[in-house]
Amino acid sequence: MNETGMTKERVAALIDAYGASPERWPEAERPQALALLAQSASARELLHEARSLDLLLNMAPVDLPSAALEDRIMAARPGSVAQPALARPTRRETRPPLFARLWNDYRSAAFPTGMLAASIVLGMGFGSAVNTTSFFDTSPLTSTAPITMASNEAAGDQLLALALSESSYTEEMIR
Amino acid sequence: MSEDFRSCETEDADFDRRPPACPAPEIMAPSQAYDWQPAAHKTQRLRNSHKTGRGGAQVSMPSDDDLVAAVAEGDERACRSLMDRHLTRIVALARRMLGNHADAEEVAQEVFLRVWTHADRWQPGRAQFSTWLHRVAINLCLDRLRRQGMTDIDSIPEPASEEPGPYEQLAQRDLARSVEAALQRLPARQRAAITLAHFQGLTNIEAAEILEVTVEAVESLLGRARRQLRVLLATEKAEWLRMTSD
Repeated sequence: MNETGMTKERVAALIDAYGASPERWPEAERPQALALLAQSASARELLHEARSLDLLLNMAPVDLPSAALEDRIMAARPGSVAQPALARPTRRETRPPLFARLWNDYRSAAFPTGMLAASIVLGMGFGSAVNTTSFFDTSPLTSTAPITMASNEAAGDQLLALALSESSYTEEMIR
Repeated sequence: MSEDFRSCETEDADFDRRPPACPAPEIMAPSQAYDWQPAAHKTQRLRNSHKTGRGGAQVSMPSDDDLVAAVAEGDERACRSLMDRHLTRIVALARRMLGNHADAEEVAQEVFLRVWTHADRWQPGRAQFSTWLHRVAINLCLDRLRRQGMTDIDSIPEPASEEPGPYEQLAQRDLARSVEAALQRLPARQRAAITLAHFQGLTNIEAAEILEVTVEAVESLLGRARRQLRVLLATEKAEWLRMTSD
């Protein structure tokens, strides 16, 4: 242990967790860790090994968002005139009626949230099918959008909440 | 260990929650994050740069809070700006978590749908928008992984395909695929931690806030993730060292 309290074990733990780039280490510990690193050949060896892993990880592929995705996202804005195409085709071969799909399948482990989201932005008239109590916010909607879209938005919230409640339902099942 | 990841429901409550006990972290400089390579013409640092006070000329850039407020008013340009600012990063995050681009785009679409849906309820100053965005994305990914059969998010999933032979020549493209496959073999929570810390370049404090666990828990997850990756990528690492030393 040096006079700052930093130990070789702690430096090793930092490298173990955060990798070889000191800028990724916790800020409060960085100066002391660097000081010890300068004095310890074994710590520098650990750093060298960690750097190989860092650089290897950086080879993981990533693609830029497609133009189609950007278009779908922009078209999904409330009040947007353009309606998006559905997100990429699902693996389901048959597509039961939309309403039945939502009310029968939302608790299914295979329920595709993407489809739900796409369904909402299609602006289907769900307002009459769900109650108007918001799961998230009891204050009135302040949106200046037309009434029809506002009720769709509230209905959309309900459906999102239902879809999301499926995930906590699943979590409880596996406990 | 109490490292519960809550479902997607929690991030909606964050719109109204009290400020965290510790100051909301600011996102690290983009240059320090591997997956976050901002295009100069499109994305900017996520800071309140519209506030002047420092000397010299300031380019006035709207903050995330400003953009979200404008989105709530139906401002199409604000929607475009917010999307331009964050979409690439969110797609990259989801790619690390889910292992393929198509699924990543699906999750990203869902994330932004939630932004549009909740913009009118966003309360500036109570939470960092980018933290909230990351949390939505991570939780959507974790929920998707659960639905796909990762019922125990601490378990190591079975490999989807055969491992390459130890003496197989690995081209760079294959190496990339191997790294991606190795990440997919991590338990979901470890994957989330390394996605945020290594690939998104966030600090341990930011990652802890996004994952809603302690900094110590993040560090533990990261250590386990990296040790597991070292094992999974032992062959690839040897090949890569040979390739890069030529």
